[in-house]
Amino acid sequence: MSSPIESRGPWLPIIAVLGIGVALALLLGSEFHLNLLVLVILWMVLALSWNMISGYAALISFGHAVFFGLGAYAIVLLQLKLQLTPWLGLPLAIAIGAAAGALIGVITLRLSGVYFALAMLCYPMALIYLFEYIGLQEVTVPMHRETPLWFMQFESQRAYAFLALGLLAVTLVLSAGIERSRFGVWLRAIKQNEAAASALGIDCFRWKLLALTLSGAVGAAAGALYAEVVLVITPWSVFGVAVSAQALVLTLFGGVGTLWGPVIGAALLVPMSELLKHEFGAILPGINGVIFGVLVIAIVIFAPQGLFWRLREMMGKTAAEDPSPGERPRHAPVRGVVPAALAPRADGREVLLRVRGLRRAFGGVVAVDDASFDVVQGEILGIIGPNGAGKTTLMNLINGFIPPDGGSAELHGTEIIGQPVHRIASIGIGRTFQVARVFPKMTLFGNVAVGAIAGSRDGTWREAAWRAIDLAGLRERAGVLGSEATARDLRLMELARAAALHPKLLLVDECLAGLSTDEVEEMVAALQRLREAGTTIVIIEHTMQAMVRLADRFLVLDHGTVIADGTPREVMHNPIVLEAYLGRRFAEGLTHAAA
Amino acid sequence: MTPDTWNDIAFMLELLAQALVTGIFMGGVYALMSVGLGLIFGLMKVINFAQPDFMMLGMYGAFFCITFVGGMGFAGPFLTPLLAALVAALAVGLFGWLIHRGLMSRVLSESQGGQDAQVMMTLGLSLILQNGALLLFGANPHTIQTPLSSEAWSLDFLFFNKGKALSFGVAIALTVILQLFMTRTRTGKSMRAAADNPEAAVYMGIDVTFVHRLGFAIGIAITAAAGALIANYTPFQPYIGMDFLILMFASVVLGGLGSISGAFWGGMTIGMMQQLSTVFLPIQLQNMVVFVAFLLIVLIRPQGLFGRVSERI
Amino acid sequence: MLLLDKLTVDYGGLRALSEVSFEVLQGQFVAVVGANGAGKSTLFKAISGTVRAAGGSVRLDDIDLLRVPPHERAHLGIAHVPEGRKVFSSLTVYENLELGAHAMNGRKVFKESLEFIYQMFPILAERRQQLAGTLSGGQQQMLAIGRGLAAAPRLLLLDEPSLGLAPVVADEIFDRIGQIHKERNLTILLVEQRVGEALEACDQGVLLESGHVVKVGAREDLMKGESALRTAYLGI
Repeated sequence: MSSPIESRGPWLPIIAVLGIGVALALLLGSEFHLNLLVLVILWMVLALSWNMISGYAALISFGHAVFFGLGAYAIVLLQLKLQLTPWLGLPLAIAIGAAAGALIGVITLRLSGVYFALAMLCYPMALIYLFEYIGLQEVTVPMHRETPLWFMQFESQRAYAFLALGLLAVTLVLSAGIERSRFGVWLRAIKQNEAAASALGIDCFRWKLLALTLSGAVGAAAGALYAEVVLVITPWSVFGVAVSAQALVLTLFGGVGTLWGPVIGAALLVPMSELLKHEFGAILPGINGVIFGVLVIAIVIFAPQGLFWRLREMMGKTAAEDPSPGERPRHAPVRGVVPAALAPRADGREVLLRVRGLRRAFGGVVAVDDASFDVVQGEILGIIGPNGAGKTTLMNLINGFIPPDGGSAELHGTEIIGQPVHRIASIGIGRTFQVARVFPKMTLFGNVAVGAIAGSRDGTWREAAWRAIDLAGLRERAGVLGSEATARDLRLMELARAAALHPKLLLVDECLAGLSTDEVEEMVAALQRLREAGTTIVIIEHTMQAMVRLADRFLVLDHGTVIADGTPREVMHNPIVLEAYLGRRFAEGLTHAAA
Repeated sequence: MTPDTWNDIAFMLELLAQALVTGIFMGGVYALMSVGLGLIFGLMKVINFAQPDFMMLGMYGAFFCITFVGGMGFAGPFLTPLLAALVAALAVGLFGWLIHRGLMSRVLSESQGGQDAQVMMTLGLSLILQNGALLLFGANPHTIQTPLSSEAWSLDFLFFNKGKALSFGVAIALTVILQLFMTRTRTGKSMRAAADNPEAAVYMGIDVTFVHRLGFAIGIAITAAAGALIANYTPFQPYIGMDFLILMFASVVLGGLGSISGAFWGGMTIGMMQQLSTVFLPIQLQNMVVFVAFLLIVLIRPQGLFGRVSERI
Repeated sequence: MLLLDKLTVDYGGLRALSEVSFEVLQGQFVAVVGANGAGKSTLFKAISGTVRAAGGSVRLDDIDLLRVPPHERAHLGIAHVPEGRKVFSSLTVYENLELGAHAMNGRKVFKESLEFIYQMFPILAERRQQLAGTLSGGQQQMLAIGRGLAAAPRLLLLDEPSLGLAPVVADEIFDRIGQIHKERNLTILLVEQRVGEALEACDQGVLLESGHVVKVGAREDLMKGESALRTAYLGI
């Protein structure tokens, strides 16, 4: 049984790690070992920076060296050309890294998956050739014998070790802060199910951009300090694939999506790699690369998420990554969401959603053909029709997942066609999906909580989440992990999660399929409670026994057109509807029998 | 216009023409190696990052074959590299078969990671192959000693380098053979069917796992063959794969992920672009051309020229 | 020929089929009908092996199909015409048919099968060099059926052939299916949403509701029990 909320912070272990680092920095004797310590820490920082975009946000980057290299070159060139002390150069390098992250993000974040990874690879490679071209093949940090401290030049590696520890401390705190903030919740949601996150009103692009910007800043910091330590840099040494691969392998090995992954990975692999190079580098060149490769393959087979998660699993600890942002908010909630006052059931026939002439074709096939209808405030409207009639497409059009070829849809007078998904969600349209879009690594409570966090201005998300859970009737199962939940659980969770945002209109896509009779009753009751709480519902369904009791009105679609619109009784005896569902011959047979 | 300007223009045109010829020759070989990558992606939807490193293995394979038989004297300067390329391709292809059997198959199902896991695995493979080669063969560049790399037929002012021409010829021949295999044989058609719709392929009685394995091996072998051909006129070392990584991917993406003929024309185009850039750009920037091209393609038209497959988000 | 005994299948986290049992005799045309979500497609997926069964058995004569690897079932004489057609869109019509004959029986009599297919669906002969992806929905359905026939099967599984087709086109398809059954005396198992069309040509019907077999009987019985059908489909 898992505890859904992790309220203890990682501060103690972080202090412990830093403490170990300080102890080593004080106790180690030889320059070689101190240099090794510095390298371990700097690679740890780079891996943490990689983790920020590729671990937390699941945008695998094969080109993190771009930030590392920019930081390195920045700090050195500022010294060479402007005689700027690296104490000032470091923050400037960080700023450059952040700017690079933002710029690259704006260009590249609309790509995804493999395209993103490959595009990221291009940036450092292109810079290598560019830098060689403009004559920066080998750049050396200038010596300053008179004022070494002013220029960050120390006798011993020990001082650099402390500097590096300082950088590590900041980075660890930053990572922990991300993990525990609303920003971290958004990233986790985006990583586990981006479509669901958008449907909750989360602006995915904006948060991914922020992650990449921070990642760039930290990566550049690591590179800048690295340059000060090694004193000579070349394009290949700081922009090269080896650097990007290092960041990736360390995190992949140690654990993706947690700050402990890079820590473990760097602590274990960097000393191993450096010692191998040192001892055997002459007789067995490349041995550390081979071992890295073997480790990657081993990790992929035996512990795909990395050592940290595997160890946790083996220790029996739950894999739940529930959100638990601090009670005092550090970031603004999703803009535009205002919890609607719980309205009593409206008897006046006020139109909530007005759809006119919605059209969409895929290739030559017309999926939705000139659909026009009204959704009345407070009603439950059922959309029915045979398989392939265009119902889900219609919902996707209203939701913003696909753009229509033509037509309009207005919610309380606000045009929603053309708006991005998250904007439509924050205007007040919620959505559940035909195949439940769960955040698999969070408990059901955690899933609902993401919705509650998106919908709350202050720290009251916890109460809002529990209220939504009770509305759906999910309390006993709230601690179950998303990946282990049953269909019934998931369907109720989706209702609760969408309800936690207090939407004006909820689009429900086939939530009854495959449930037992009892479970269907539960869902119907939950939907009715939801309507009572003030949400208008549009529901696509096939399970007719339930629908005829639940829906006030039916809209019947066939081949993309609305063929009937009326009360259940009217619609079910409409011969056109019968023909669409049961086939013309059946309908003919009936009319013949009736005649 | 002065006679000087005419001369300059004429010279420029000659350079362009020569670059065109060389571009076609090299493009053909790039096309071959890209076809190997494209075949694997089209079939299995897996991006094989180790592909350029298998190419590198092909280079070393051909080198050792030729050294083993004592050099070009074995079967003459044209036939020997050809045979060496074929033997190297077969050997590396067999190696690819074993890798799919032993490693990639272990992470096929979604619960084990599916395609993401396979991609990471190819990353690990890449590290092992590159550094393993470094360990075994050393960092010094090798070359296949052949008179053809410095001989050329000439036509007016155009030079047709014999080594490059031979490679081009073989590359085209292999591509044609592959095309025939895919369109005329039952196995080839099964492969195309499995790439098109794996579920329906099972209904036809096609063993999709076997087909994937075979496709993987063939894709690897083809790229290895391309490498073996290039080795006739380019020095190589264990990390040479890196030089071709983006080139191969740019070709496949330009042609459209999922289209084999697309990969071919993509490779030709990229090869030509690279050669033409030698006329206009200084050497350090020539390499940049491929990266910039790749970025532009991916940002402007990611489905490429002939692409059908859309990347899942 | 085909005997389903207490077949139970879990799919997508749901119990899609619960102890489904019925029999298809040689030469029979059996239609499985039921509303969407009743488990019809899952039935075929279990027979073909795309989806694993949780319990029960499917016997083709005396072979338990569930023990045979999916890609080998086609070689036992089963042709599955999938839901949504799933033609190989980047291959030509002819190549699609050829691939249908990949199964062992099919290869031997391919020439003969081809003649029959072209006779049944002349449009396929006309467009045999055309890429399958460029055909219309109805033509693709004909191609999918032709591909199934090319396997010279003992048992033809037809999964919702009318899906996504205009009623007129669907009618034509159903006519041809009935013809095929008569001319070849082929054993056919059909799954359909459109009850009227499905029951028109069949010998025997099976009504599925939420993964359970609700009724099995000859066509007339099922047509007479139209209120049961209406309840199953429309809930009233």
